[in-house]
Amino acid sequence: MQGDVLVTHNKIEQAHFVIKGDCLMLSRKNVIRAVTIALIGATSLSAQALAQDLTIGVRAGPDSIDPHWSTLGSQAESLRHIFDTVVAVDKDLQLQPGLATSWTAVDENTWEFKIREGVKFHDGSDLTAEDVKFSIDRIPQVTGPMSMTIYTKSVESVEVIDDYTVHVHTKGTAATLPNDFIRLFVVSSEIGTVGNEEFNAGTAAIGTGPYKFVSWEPKGDLVLVRNEDYWGEAPAWENVVRKEIPNDASRVAALQSGEVDLINYVPATDYAGMQNDPRLDTFISDSVYILNITPNVKDELPVKAKVNGAEIAENPFQDLRVREAMDLAINRDILSQVVLEGLGKPANQLMPATFFGGSTALPEREYDLERAKALLAEAGYPNGFEIDFACTNNRLPGDAAVCEALSQMWARAGLKVNANALNGTVFFPAQQAGEYSLWLSGWGTLTGEASYTYGSLVHTADPEKGLGAFNKSGYSNPEIDALLEEGARTLDDDKRRALYTQVTELSMNDRVLIPTVIIQTVWAAKADTLTFEPRVDQETLAQLITPVGQ
Amino acid sequence: MLGFFIQRVFQAVIVVVVMSILVFLGVYAIGNPIDVMIDPAATQQIRDTLIRQYGFDRPLWEQYFVFVGNVLQGDFGQSFVYRVPVLDLIFSRLPATFELALGAMLIASVIGIPLGIWAGYRPRAFSSKAIMALSILGFSLPTFWVGLLLVMTFAVQLHWLPSGGRGPTSDILGIPLSFVTPAGWSYIILPAFNLALFNLGLLIRLARAGTLEAMSSDYVRFARAQGLKESKVVGLHVLKNIAIPIVTVFGLEFGSTLAFAVVTETIFNWPGVGKLIIDSIMVLDRPVMVAYLILVVLLFVIINLVVDLLYGVLDPRIRARRAA
Repeated sequence: MQGDVLVTHNKIEQAHFVIKGDCLMLSRKNVIRAVTIALIGATSLSAQALAQDLTIGVRAGPDSIDPHWSTLGSQAESLRHIFDTVVAVDKDLQLQPGLATSWTAVDENTWEFKIREGVKFHDGSDLTAEDVKFSIDRIPQVTGPMSMTIYTKSVESVEVIDDYTVHVHTKGTAATLPNDFIRLFVVSSEIGTVGNEEFNAGTAAIGTGPYKFVSWEPKGDLVLVRNEDYWGEAPAWENVVRKEIPNDASRVAALQSGEVDLINYVPATDYAGMQNDPRLDTFISDSVYILNITPNVKDELPVKAKVNGAEIAENPFQDLRVREAMDLAINRDILSQVVLEGLGKPANQLMPATFFGGSTALPEREYDLERAKALLAEAGYPNGFEIDFACTNNRLPGDAAVCEALSQMWARAGLKVNANALNGTVFFPAQQAGEYSLWLSGWGTLTGEASYTYGSLVHTADPEKGLGAFNKSGYSNPEIDALLEEGARTLDDDKRRALYTQVTELSMNDRVLIPTVIIQTVWAAKADTLTFEPRVDQETLAQLITPVGQ
Repeated sequence: MLGFFIQRVFQAVIVVVVMSILVFLGVYAIGNPIDVMIDPAATQQIRDTLIRQYGFDRPLWEQYFVFVGNVLQGDFGQSFVYRVPVLDLIFSRLPATFELALGAMLIASVIGIPLGIWAGYRPRAFSSKAIMALSILGFSLPTFWVGLLLVMTFAVQLHWLPSGGRGPTSDILGIPLSFVTPAGWSYIILPAFNLALFNLGLLIRLARAGTLEAMSSDYVRFARAQGLKESKVVGLHVLKNIAIPIVTVFGLEFGSTLAFAVVTETIFNWPGVGKLIIDSIMVLDRPVMVAYLILVVLLFVIINLVVDLLYGVLDPRIRARRAA
């Protein structure tokens, strides 16, 4: 025990010393001596990057090199360099031939995929239908934190017809199966039963992609080298390093100091300055992420609304007039131009209108404060009401700022909205548990088609059917449910698109969720060094970046 | 001596147990890690399978005892996110943090103690006042701000040093280290200096206050009367007498520098444990959080033990008391 007493004693002594030390004594006879801190002689690093080397500073990297590990966007983005998918997507997320050159529904429950001939894995072996079957069958065996089984949930079995033909038998009719396969990476069947470790070490990291794996460490650098035998267009860069730099300011500094050639997710505060900086080029793009407001429409709110300080029994959000009033009170131009500093666009539906099943007929949402007030009065709340409003503060750029701005906009319509911006770590479990009455959250339509979004958010929560998994508002509309279910059974693209467009229009007019703004994101690069076309899924892919002058 | 040691170990065990229960309860109170990690498109079945796979469906006390049972067999479990053994994950990143913290403490003491002694030895000199002003800056400026300023100055404007990352490392005894090569030095110098600032200020103040007090004491007067050179008086007699508080603070600060270098690591993108632990908290990766905190507790216990043992070396009176 003696030791501890001593430590305590010394701590008191130390505090005492520090207090004494604070009194600077004045004196006249001084020798002026500069006190400088010696920095070890620093040589300027010869960061002369060669034209065929590309270093990218990314906000997030993979959690594993196993392409079937997790469904996270940063995971897919990183592994798309090494592995190819059965179905590819263009920059607007519309389907393109990938390792499969074509796909057709041969009957109600069977999809036929024709596999590209002449494709070689990095170890020199040929890609065949066996590898595709192996990859699909492997997914349920992988025990990552975010199982890719969501992409194969409708798969009953996979049958190899010949070396370059695969039949996928589905549980019931699965009209959107090709969309599910856009993140279905194909690994070599020769790797056998391997886990995470073999992939991370590189022994199993054998793909058909434009780049070969060199090395990786968690939260560190992913090092890649060009695949000289790539089946598609040859990538421009020979060596690629993807450095993970999660901190925004550090990522910007890395670009400005010349450490990296390109960065993603430039913060809004730096964007304005960069546009005027002749040493840097910026690239801006819409994202698939939209911030949506969800009013809880259950009979009883988890946190009740208050009128004049007293809790009320009824749920005001069950009245469409209230939901409409809240929508009308939002000034989306202010949100995108002022709150998001120009990195946003007004949204009128849950995904971009050009996506499969989006609606081009829906009007822009208008801002009309007087009408909002009138509707509230009509619904029986002439003096408004008080409600808690939850949102995230670290999931999407500007989420907390939009949240606070919304509560002020609603205040002008007479509502007292208590905005509460929370860390995602706290927000998501509470949202899943149904603890919120009104919330703002981001949603990205990563598959580029409506059933992914509307099936999860708008369809009645139905675990049996596997639909409405993220419908926590209690909304249930048999008409919409029927349309969504019919769409899932409809193999004809045009008919299905019409059904989903109807779902979009019905649910948006009913204000099941109220879309606010599309988040836009920015990339920045050293001026005049490279060109690339941003993608709506935000992926920064070395194979799609070309040096200037080539 | 042995009794003292056993006592210490016993204390450490209690602290570790209490802490692991707190972390378990804390993470449980926040919510289910699956809700943070899961993909929006997941169905209820997939969610249920995951919850079962991680054992979150079992009561909390059961999860805790399974964990304790594994730890007693030396198994701290696997990270929820990376699915690799937690200890591998932490130890793969510990050398980076250790090197950074050691570099920072070296800078702080090599610069701070001589400056502090000088400021105490000549308290009225202008140079001493400049030193004290500097120490106030070291104390009061927020680390992240100074860090950004260092990056803007030395990396962005002057292009002398890299803006972040760890650069090339060389293996010594199988441990990757940066300080072996000049390129490695160029990467470590800014973050180490940034991390050192606070302790630099602290050590300057401690050394100054100790020296001020020691200079007016009898033994200094006698040493001078003996005709000893000033350098000997300060270097031998004064330094020895002010060493105990400095060693105490050095020990404590080394521990916290090591455990909580997270701000500096984030700004300089240094691949240490601080970044790992913040990322793990963000996704409620409980095994990593618990194992890391247990290691931190052990670290503090060991450092305090070493500090206590050093007292004996530095001060014969403590040695005598302990023997009694």
